[in-house]
Amino acid sequence: MRLEIITPERIVLSDKIDRITLMTENGEISILPHHIPFVSNLRPGEARYEKEKHEASLAIAGGFVVVREDGSVVILADAVEHPEEIDLTRAEAARARAAKLMSEIRSKEDVDFTALQMKLEKELNRIRVGNKYRKI
Amino acid sequence: MALNTKAIKRRIKSVSSTKKITKAMQMISAVKMRRAVQNVLAARSYANLGWEIVNDIAKKIDVRVHPLLKSRRVKHIGLILITSNRGLAGGFSSRLLHEVHRYVLSVRAEVDAEADIILSGKHGRNIFHKFGHEVVAEFNKVDLTTRIEEILPIAQMVMQDFVNGKYDRIVVAYTDYNSAINQTPRVKQILPLTNDDGLLGHIENEAPDQEKTLATNTGFGYLFEPDPKRVLNVLLPRLVETQIYQAVLESDASEHSARMMAMQNATDAAEGMIKELNYSFNKARQAAITQEISEIVGGAAALE
Repeated sequence: MRLEIITPERIVLSDKIDRITLMTENGEISILPHHIPFVSNLRPGEARYEKEKHEASLAIAGGFVVVREDGSVVILADAVEHPEEIDLTRAEAARARAAKLMSEIRSKEDVDFTALQMKLEKELNRIRVGNKYRKI
Repeated sequence: MALNTKAIKRRIKSVSSTKKITKAMQMISAVKMRRAVQNVLAARSYANLGWEIVNDIAKKIDVRVHPLLKSRRVKHIGLILITSNRGLAGGFSSRLLHEVHRYVLSVRAEVDAEADIILSGKHGRNIFHKFGHEVVAEFNKVDLTTRIEEILPIAQMVMQDFVNGKYDRIVVAYTDYNSAINQTPRVKQILPLTNDDGLLGHIENEAPDQEKTLATNTGFGYLFEPDPKRVLNVLLPRLVETQIYQAVLESDASEHSARMMAMQNATDAAEGMIKELNYSFNKARQAAITQEISEIVGGAAALE
């Protein structure tokens, strides 16, 4: 099936693949060929896709996944990074910053707080995906 | 004669300094244009694909699921007019303004709807001065938009006004970037997301039972996870924002291209003028010398 991953800045991937595993709002799902039309929100997480027995991975910062009528999968992502692109020290610093800000304003529940929480989750995801592929 | 050459010389000087300015502006615009074009091309596939998907989804689900999908009888239109902050860009803004004027008149004639204009970019004010159309809000616009955050205030305002029923249709007027020398003014509907002409009774005409089957979570429609409302609540606003953002990017790229072209034309024209003036200057100088010689010769002949 056809997979397209697009962010506002670039087309990340446009390829034929055999399977993709994504982190949606409801939890992790795998999409195989001939899936019915489907729409879901994505949480920050790892996307693993398999093409001819090879598995590759991407860090996705949230967005949407749409399976279209012709069975092609479209991911409209806010941001996507390849594991090898992730600068772990910078991701760690960004996470620390977000965590610090969050502890400072924990008292009041407002938009800023949810935005920060999102940011924290994104950075954690980057670190997780980055670390995972660093070892290999 | 001496006076004549002096005057020509002064004109050459003034035209060359104008040329220097237009040349500099051309170069600045060229740099800005390159960046703007890069931005617009990068964002285009995301915006187009997102738009395609949202239209596709909108066709297959019950429009009552989400307020941004509902179309009503159109009485008030909110028109977002995206222009430049500055002029000297050839026909860039006036062409768009004429297009908007035509659009406003046509909706007034066809569906008897009034349009309120929301400005982004100072040059849009002329729509009021020239045509007298109502302007309800004005947003600041930066010269080169690079982040989607910059258009969020506009997007949030129009979505709120649409849901509250202040406007029944939201359109965005901008200049589409085709190439450095070709840009077309466009008026595009962004809300409601259903693809119809907004005429009276359109919704009622649709078979109600068909809507029902599509609204269920299986069959021909889309499967939403966790549920249609939650997904659409995030998806639709995001894609509307992207559309407006894309329009701003297109407009930016067009503006800087148009200005670059205008300035290039001005520079070329100045160059032609200088050439012409140089020619007449040389002629005048030559004429003055010839006259002087003939005066001297005439004077000498008179002495003999």
